[in-house]
This record gives sequence, C-alpha cells and structure tokens, in this order.
Amino acid sequence: MIETQTGEQLLPVDPTTKRPRKPTRQPGYYPGYSTMSQKNFWDAATRQTVEKRVYDVPEIRFFSPEELPLMQAVCDRVLPQHDRLPQYRIPIVNYIDERLFKNEIDGYRYEDMPPDREAHPLGLKAINETASAMYNKPFLDLGPLEQDYVLKSIHDGEKKAALDIWSRMSIQRYWHLLVQDCVAAYYAHPWAWDEIGYGGPAYPRAYTRLENGDPEPWEKDEQRYEWEAPATSISDKYEESAAGAGTTHHGQGGTH
Amino acid sequence: MKSPLLGRFESPHEKDKRILGPLQRISRQYRHYLDSEEVDYCVVGVGSAGGVLLQRLAKAGFSVVGLEAGPFWDPERDWVSDEKGSHKLYWNNLRITGGEDPLTFGENNSGKGVGGGSVHWAAFAPRFHPSDFRVYSEDGVAVDWPISYDDLKPYYELLEREIPVAGPAYFPWGDPHGYPYGPHPLGGVGDVLVKGCTKLGIRVCAGGPVAILSGSHGNRPHCIYRGFCIQGCKVGAKASTLITHVPEALDYGAEVRELSMAFRIGMRDKDHVNGVFYYDRDGHEHFQRAKAVIVAGYAIETPRLLLNSACPGHEHGLANSSGVVGRYLMAQAGNVVLGRFPSLIRMYKAPPAHAMTEEFYETDPGRGFARGFAIQSVAPLPIAFAKQMMTAIGAWGWGMRRVLMDYNHWATLGVLGEILPWPDNRVEIADEKDEYGIPVPKVTFNLHDNDKKMIEFGKKKVMEVMWAAGAEQVVQESRYAHLVGAARMGSDPATSVVDKFGRTHDVHNLFICDGSILPTQGSANPGLTIQSLAARTADYLISQGEKIWTSDKRDMTPPPIRRHLAVRDSFTKGVPRLFR
Repeated sequence: MIETQTGEQLLPVDPTTKRPRKPTRQPGYYPGYSTMSQKNFWDAATRQTVEKRVYDVPEIRFFSPEELPLMQAVCDRVLPQHDRLPQYRIPIVNYIDERLFKNEIDGYRYEDMPPDREAHPLGLKAINETASAMYNKPFLDLGPLEQDYVLKSIHDGEKKAALDIWSRMSIQRYWHLLVQDCVAAYYAHPWAWDEIGYGGPAYPRAYTRLENGDPEPWEKDEQRYEWEAPATSISDKYEESAAGAGTTHHGQGGTH
Repeated sequence: MKSPLLGRFESPHEKDKRILGPLQRISRQYRHYLDSEEVDYCVVGVGSAGGVLLQRLAKAGFSVVGLEAGPFWDPERDWVSDEKGSHKLYWNNLRITGGEDPLTFGENNSGKGVGGGSVHWAAFAPRFHPSDFRVYSEDGVAVDWPISYDDLKPYYELLEREIPVAGPAYFPWGDPHGYPYGPHPLGGVGDVLVKGCTKLGIRVCAGGPVAILSGSHGNRPHCIYRGFCIQGCKVGAKASTLITHVPEALDYGAEVRELSMAFRIGMRDKDHVNGVFYYDRDGHEHFQRAKAVIVAGYAIETPRLLLNSACPGHEHGLANSSGVVGRYLMAQAGNVVLGRFPSLIRMYKAPPAHAMTEEFYETDPGRGFARGFAIQSVAPLPIAFAKQMMTAIGAWGWGMRRVLMDYNHWATLGVLGEILPWPDNRVEIADEKDEYGIPVPKVTFNLHDNDKKMIEFGKKKVMEVMWAAGAEQVVQESRYAHLVGAARMGSDPATSVVDKFGRTHDVHNLFICDGSILPTQGSANPGLTIQSLAARTADYLISQGEKIWTSDKRDMTPPPIRRHLAVRDSFTKGVPRLFR
C-alpha cells in the first residue's frame, strides 16, 4: 500500500494526555474480539468468501499509474486509517479498483451522472483542479488539513473549480459515489467488523442472545475509550446542515 | 471454542441436488421442454408471483415454463452470510433513474434469480387494508381497485398458511385477524419500537407479521435469528418462492429455465401472442412457443418488456392502447430514522423485520393529507448503516469511523408510507442498451404535494417514537422501499392495462401478474398481496380452461378458490389462530 502521508500529526489523540494514540492492530471498543476466529463455525461458502477478501487482495487493474496515488490519497482522507498499523489497514482502493475493473454496478445510474468507470477518474481530476484553485498545488502536494478542506468543498457541493466536469456530473452524487465505495470496501472487511463489534456470519450456529445488546459467548463486551480526531483533520466535525443543502439525498442501501 | 465439536462446517457433497436449506433438497433433473414445443403457459419471471403461478398451474395439470433471467439458486452453496457477497441476489443491470426525486434500484428493491424479490425481502407480510381497495371513493385521490378486499381475503388467508406467516394471534389493524405461527422474540430494534410506542400510547405489534418461521414447518427449520434476511435466508426459515412454491412446481412437471432473459413477446396475430423471445446464458436467441404468456417481471421489467415488444398494431408497446404501460409507478416512502442509545442494541441480531404499527395507516383529515404510513423495524448491517450515515449526517472521514464504532448503540426504524400513483412517475425506454443489446429502462420519479406532506409527518412521528424510546440522538435518511404499479389493473381499458384477473385489455392471451398491476399500494409491504393475486389469477386461468387461449370473450365471473392447490403442509402445521 502506498503511504501518501505519514507522521504523528495524522493520529487520533487521547483527550486526557493530549498525546497521539499509538496505531494498533485493532482500533475500536472491542479489544481482543475476532470474527475470523469463529470462521470454522460458518458455512463453507461464507468462509471462502470472507477468507478470499482478506487473504487474496485483488491487484490494481483499473486505475492508471497516474490516478492510483491520487485515489489512494483521497481514500486516506475519506476513510482515514492511520490509527491502524500499516499491515492492518484495509486495502480500500484495491476493492474499488476491482469493482470498476469488473464493471460491477448497483443496478442504476442517475441521469445526471456518467457511468461509474468514468465518474471516478473525472472526480479525481476535479479534486486535483479544486486543489489547484484553492491552494495552487496538486492534491498530492497538500498537507492533510488542506486536503480535507478540498474534499469538504466537494462534500458541501461547492464547485470551486472543474466547472466543465461538474456540468457533466452532479457534484453531490459524485461525493456519495466516492464515500459509498469507500465504506462498502472498508466495512465489508472482518477487521472492520472487529473494530465495531459486529457479530458477523452466524449460520448455521445462530444468534441466541437477542435483547439488551448482550454478547454471544464468542462476542466481547464494549470497552469504550475517548479519542479525538487528529488536529490535521476536519472530517469529525458534525454539522446539522452539512449534507449538501438544497438537494435531495435519497439513500442507496436496501433495508426494507 | 475454535471449532464445532465435529470439525468445521463443510460444503455438502450431493452434486445432483440443489440444497435449499439444511432439510430441503431438490433434484437438478426435471422436466425440460423444447423451444418448439408449444406449452400452455410461458411465465416470464420466477419471483413472488411467478413462483406461485408455476406451482398452481402445474399442479392443475397445465404445461408451464418459467423463464428466469437470473440463476436457479442453491442457497447452501451460492449464498453467504455476508453483506457484500450478497450483491448477486439483486437486479444489478443498468437502469437510468431521474426526475426530481429519483428512485434507486438493485439491492433496494429488485431481485434476480429464482425466487426474485422474495429471496431478499425482509419478509414483512401484512395484508392491505379494506380501504386500500377504495382509495378514490374514500379519499378522492388515486383510483379504486377493480376488486375489493373481500375478493382477496380468502387468498390472504390461504397464502398466510402456505408461506406461512408468523405474527400475533390478534392483529388489530385493517381487517383484524390472527396468524398461524406464533410471533418471534424481539431483538434490540423491536424492543425500541415497542418501548417508544408504548410510552406514547401507540398500539404496536411485536414479533410479526413476517413470512419467517417461528417453528419448523415441513422440511423448513425455524429462524435462527442471524439477521441476514435481505442477504438471502440460508436457513430456509424465511419464505421465498424458491423454497415454498418452486419445488412443488417442479414435482408437478413445471420447468424453470434459468439464465433466460426475455426481450420480446411474439405475436400470432394482432390480438394474440404465441410465445416469448429470450436470450440464453450464452447470449443465443431463442423463441419459446406458448398458448398464453404471463409476464411477471415486476414493476420495471414488466413495462420494459411490453414497451420493447412494440410491433405493428401495437406501435406504442404491447397492450398499451391506453398509454398507461409504464405510468403510475409507485415506491413507498421508506425514510429511516436512526437513534443512538446509551446502552448497546446490537441490531444485527434477529430478523430486521419483526415489529410494526399500522396506527397511522388510514387517512386522518386532521393531518392535512390523504392516506398514511406504517412504522416498522429495520436493521441495516454495517455497510448499509454507513451509507445511511453518509446521507443522514453527511458522515465521512474520522466522523464516519467514529459513528460506525458506535454501530452497536444505534437502532433504526422505518417509515413505510403510501405514495400515490401519478402519471408522470413512469418507466420508459432509454437509448442505451444492456449487455444483451436490449434497450434499458429509464425511470422518472417525482414526489407530489400529498406525498411530501405524508413523508414529513411520518418521519416526525417516527422520530418522536425514537426519542420516547430513550434515544439520545435522532437523525433520519430519506429513501424509498418497494416498487409497484406501471401496468395497473382496472375496469376501464382507457385508463388501465389489465382487467381484474390480470388479462391485458388489448391482447386476449397475454396476462400480467406481479406488483406492476397494483393500482395503489397502501402502507403495507406488497409481497403477500402479490402472491395472493397470483394465486387468484391462477384459479381464474384454471377455471377458464383452454378457451381462454383463443376466445376473445371475457368471462368476468370470479373463480372458486382452490384450497387443494395450496402447497403441501399448508394445513397440517401451525397453531390455532383467532378468526373474527
């Protein structure tokens, strides 16, 4: 994996000591919890699917050598993982690359969007142009905080540059495409399940403790700790009106 | 413990069987018709309706072929307890979506493969209310159905035993009734809904009605509460026509032809069809001859097939002299309200669907809009939850990581609201083509004033419930659920596509039977109604016999209900229930 930014300033901070928290194998409030430790209890098809995801990471085949470092840098801000030891970071870009290489779509395309395989490269171009307009530098040459401000402008639907690209594709929908692809890659990974304390597959064994948030015998209780996002980021600031005011934001996922 | 006592679970060896669940196996060998053989019925789409139609018609002795665009699943080997790995269950082929309030497709509402949407539905199975069939008479909006609740009631009762439905012994809304299988235990989200409603004095129903087994039924085990309902039930506890109706259809000689994508309906003359053109798995073109065709492709693919079948005499699409094919498409408002609780919820356990209230279902003039909504438990797995947080609070970066670390503290409730049928909400054909070379559908969707008022009221009400349950933060995401309409039934050929039995007004031996024929949608999940309509259409076709393939006379006499055609085990299992 390409390291686009390094250093202590990228790490979440312990609010009591004001010191950076050391990167770990498994951040989150469920230390010692491992879904993969339970894989022998899963059915064979599920076990194979999840093992392949972890141990057989797809190569980069879609993004060009010029696009790849930029995509990596963008994903490092859209879903930062600096609190993870490098060998325990989830290769988000590889999974997005695989989806685009295989042209696996979700069954629809908005009429104001190009196909996903065009949207991602166009979006990277627009991000770079926005970086130039805001800071006179390409995105890769910016510090993490400046990179966040560039991405935040797209998150907010502000067209600070690349007007020709945004005339071909909706800025809000591109942002959603990008974030969706990142979270769909990250939270599909069992290491992310361990981080958030999600039980994972349970066939044929079953869940038996349904109420009060009780853990199954193989699950762990929550052990919370306080943390602050690094000072070099703005993505942890929650604003009530932030999600692209004035546009419709209908959800993508299936729940009912 | 690292492994089960007898070692890790491995894939079963029986290569000649499809394994539909731990107890249900079916042979891979069954009846196969040649394209050149003229079958009695060719059914396009083996989903909620198609599965029931095949089973009924085959059991009554007709020769039937079901063309299914997707695969014939083997749940044990094909399906996984994994969100991302279940992507293949959905209709992921390209559709263009637009309008002011565009719909999304794929995992949100469209299934592919034998069982169709019933493979990935959450399995809430409420009936429509009597008022749903008389919306224009009662509220002056939309249209009335050409049938009444009483016409469908015997089929609701039958299908509730066939699939079967688990729920309370007394369900108080609409036409009050009880369920043959007992309610499910509550998971964390159901607890939240019951707690919030109880605090506000809202009647609420726990543990159903869902088409998920709370006790074993024939060769299907009961639910194990693993929470992967919309990723396909490997257990076989959740009903899908793949496991409820298709096995018996095969036993009676029906053929299910997988990976067969219909693209045009063939015409014998201007008033009669004679079969279906389709592409097989290798892209080769075929024509299955049939005495009659039933289109059961759901609310996007059904109008798409009719529009793509335009021909001399039907220039604007088959059975479209009214211009109504593709129009009056509906989705239900499906806003999700998310609440964070100080204690753990762990909403991934138990079926997402297991508690609901229909207290706000009927029109209340005091609210300032017609019709209403239901409130239902939903429970997104981590990826879906992250996507919801992206739209609900604009989460990204460290904020996304933080809110997901609290995944186990969140509970989600869904609005299920009645959006009215509007002519400008429609399916058309785009210029683009799919991988087969078939023009893709283009869908336009706009919310109207009544819809917006209902959604506003509904989401505020659900937020109140969430606060009352003890949430310390409440946010919401706008979205839709389900798809119906776009080939609606009615008595007047000028304003509808099919008659009350699903027969197209324009073409005598062409039928439509799926969610697309619904004139309005209520605030109930449409699955049970679609299957009940399919059983009724089958009874009608069986009553009409051979004459319906050639005759241009329409016998509008309702058929007698044929309870003996219900799938085996329907009447020998379950617990006594209350009848009114």
